[in-house]
Amino acid sequence: MAGNKGRGRAAYTFNIEAVGFSKGEKLPDVVLKPPPLFPDTDYKPVPLKTGEGEEYMLALKQELRETMKRMPYFIETPEERQDIERYSKRYMKVYKEEWIPDWRRLPREMMPRNKCKKGPKPKKAKDAGKGTSLTNTADVLKKIEELEKRGDGEKSDEENEEKEGSKEKSKEGEDDDDDDAAEQEEYDEEDQEEENDYINSYFEDGDDFGADSDDNMDEATY
Amino acid sequence: MTQAEIKLCSLLLQEHFGEIVEKIGVHLIRTGSQPLRVIAHDTGTSLDQVKKALCVLVQHNLVSYQVHKRGVVEYEAQCSRVLRMLRYPRYIYTTKTLYSDTGELIVEELLLNGKLTMSAVVKKVADRLTETMEDGKTMDYAEVSNTFVRLADTHFVQRCPSVPTTENSDPGPPPPAPALVINEKDMYLVPKLSLIGKGKRRRSSDEDAAGEPKAKRPKHTTDNKEPIPDDGIYWQANLDRFHQHFRDQAIVSAVANRMDQTSSEIVRTMLRMSEITTSSSAPFTQPLSSNEIFRSLPVGYNISKQVLDQYLTLLADDPVSLLSLYLASADNFSTLFGSRCARIFRLVLQKKHLEQKQVEDFAMIPAKEAKDMLYKMLSENFISLQEIPKTPDHAPSRTFYLYTVNILAAARMLLHRCYKSIANLIERRQFETKENKRLLEKSQRVEAIIASMQATGAEEAQLQEIEEMITAPERQQLETLKRNVNKLDASEIQVDETIFLLESYIECTMKRL
Repeated sequence: MAGNKGRGRAAYTFNIEAVGFSKGEKLPDVVLKPPPLFPDTDYKPVPLKTGEGEEYMLALKQELRETMKRMPYFIETPEERQDIERYSKRYMKVYKEEWIPDWRRLPREMMPRNKCKKGPKPKKAKDAGKGTSLTNTADVLKKIEELEKRGDGEKSDEENEEKEGSKEKSKEGEDDDDDDAAEQEEYDEEDQEEENDYINSYFEDGDDFGADSDDNMDEATY
Repeated sequence: MTQAEIKLCSLLLQEHFGEIVEKIGVHLIRTGSQPLRVIAHDTGTSLDQVKKALCVLVQHNLVSYQVHKRGVVEYEAQCSRVLRMLRYPRYIYTTKTLYSDTGELIVEELLLNGKLTMSAVVKKVADRLTETMEDGKTMDYAEVSNTFVRLADTHFVQRCPSVPTTENSDPGPPPPAPALVINEKDMYLVPKLSLIGKGKRRRSSDEDAAGEPKAKRPKHTTDNKEPIPDDGIYWQANLDRFHQHFRDQAIVSAVANRMDQTSSEIVRTMLRMSEITTSSSAPFTQPLSSNEIFRSLPVGYNISKQVLDQYLTLLADDPVSLLSLYLASADNFSTLFGSRCARIFRLVLQKKHLEQKQVEDFAMIPAKEAKDMLYKMLSENFISLQEIPKTPDHAPSRTFYLYTVNILAAARMLLHRCYKSIANLIERRQFETKENKRLLEKSQRVEAIIASMQATGAEEAQLQEIEEMITAPERQQLETLKRNVNKLDASEIQVDETIFLLESYIECTMKRL
């Protein structure tokens, strides 16, 4: 058969002229590997546009970059413990404003829950009163109350539910369903357990422990 | 979401919000909608940090939430909105050209903070403007408010959806997440506020250098116990409106390039008239009668009605696709393949379909080169082959193979390349900065020392000494670094312009299909 002439030899089933190669011409090699990571460019790129507008935008961009780093929205990664605590580090800390989101606009689960932990949260509750946030002072007081009561354990859930029924605004409380709250609290406990050296079971002091330490905390903060 | 887009989003989030937010954000972009627990579990971050990150992302309109059945709240990231962060300088600069410094700062504050109440914006902007004014002068709140109102009237800023005011007839527990709503007609409604006040300068004691320990939070000069009059009414920048403006600008300049100044003015007038009547995503503006156009032409142009009609017919008869011009423009192809390729591409674009031989003839390029270029473009998917069989059995020897350009595919391809380019540019810039971190820190310290010494009135000789702390080769290195970083930044901005055009084109074409 005429078609079998090319057994063992490359034969094209179509007229190669049509695609542009002349007969017998050397075809470029088949590429067997991915293209190079930094290919050579034979051609120089087109020069950048310059002008007043472009320069202004450039300066703006760099300024914005710097500003963003200083905003409270930029969350720093907590650094690992250094071998030596450097004295200068304490004085080089950049001061950042605290930002409190408007909790009314966020799902209730977003509010930070914390128990007797010393940290920015109780400070936040205080700062909310003097800071430029938009939360009500009434809500702040409520939050502090809740933090105190949190040491009492599950009881706080029911009390919160009652409080919510009587509040005018649909302000998010601390707890959703009971299950959720229980799970969350357990999770938080585990979380905290990992962070300090003390084994919580040693301090089975009952209900008074949480409340007392909370009081102390509140007095100590500014 | 393509890998290139995800990578770019990751770089942008990291630069603007830090690594934690980046991790959460990228995870959401990759996996779609997820509840809080799953996010924490999958990313291995503590619940606390996930919450913080989500708060930031929601504040900046990058993540939205939805309540699903059984009270589970799921969070979803908007990848395209993350990519808009590249365009912030352009938005701000545009506002500056339209509404001068006040407008510029308003939009800047809105973009930096995601959303703000009007009173907060006015206060911040007034304070900032006061800083730049001469001693003794302050910026009045009223002026800032006026500019704000003008921005709202022209739709450049819009209201965010707000918490619905529910009466307390609801007996059950409040929902896990508020369902934010916004009424169409309320979107640009400015609340009736009487903001009285002036901008305040920061006291010099607040501007201490890093040497002082800040144990206490500096007192704010404002009284925070006052009830905020527009509490709960937040505003955000209306990016779509800016995009519409950019598009109009691009159209006008393209028309000016192709024809002349007058026709571009006509087009500009038409676009301005339909600015608010047509929604930003409509493919065509509302039909306008030539009378209306005539009346709306800017005063300087006293052309007669007939001339106007002539121009209009001319414009209507010249169906030029803005993008095809752009695609074929020398810029794109010179970089990638050389200007000859650009010629071939433009040719194929114009003639729609061409055979190999015809390409060589029309472009006046030797056959070998033409072949080479065509196949290179083919391999990059800028050009495709169209088969036209002569016989029903599609035998290859009896089929025409024609080269053609599929604009949509080519646009998509180019867009993908753009994303990759910007990601590369950002990475390179970060690399350069990291390499020279030590040197940069040193120069910053020296500058701070010089500034403080100047403030306390030091002698020339002392200043000289401090300046010499940075040696000449180091200075050279810094210069080079600055030049490179500037180039990279400028390139980012320009590639973003290309991205805008391509995205608009693709969106527009998809709507028409």
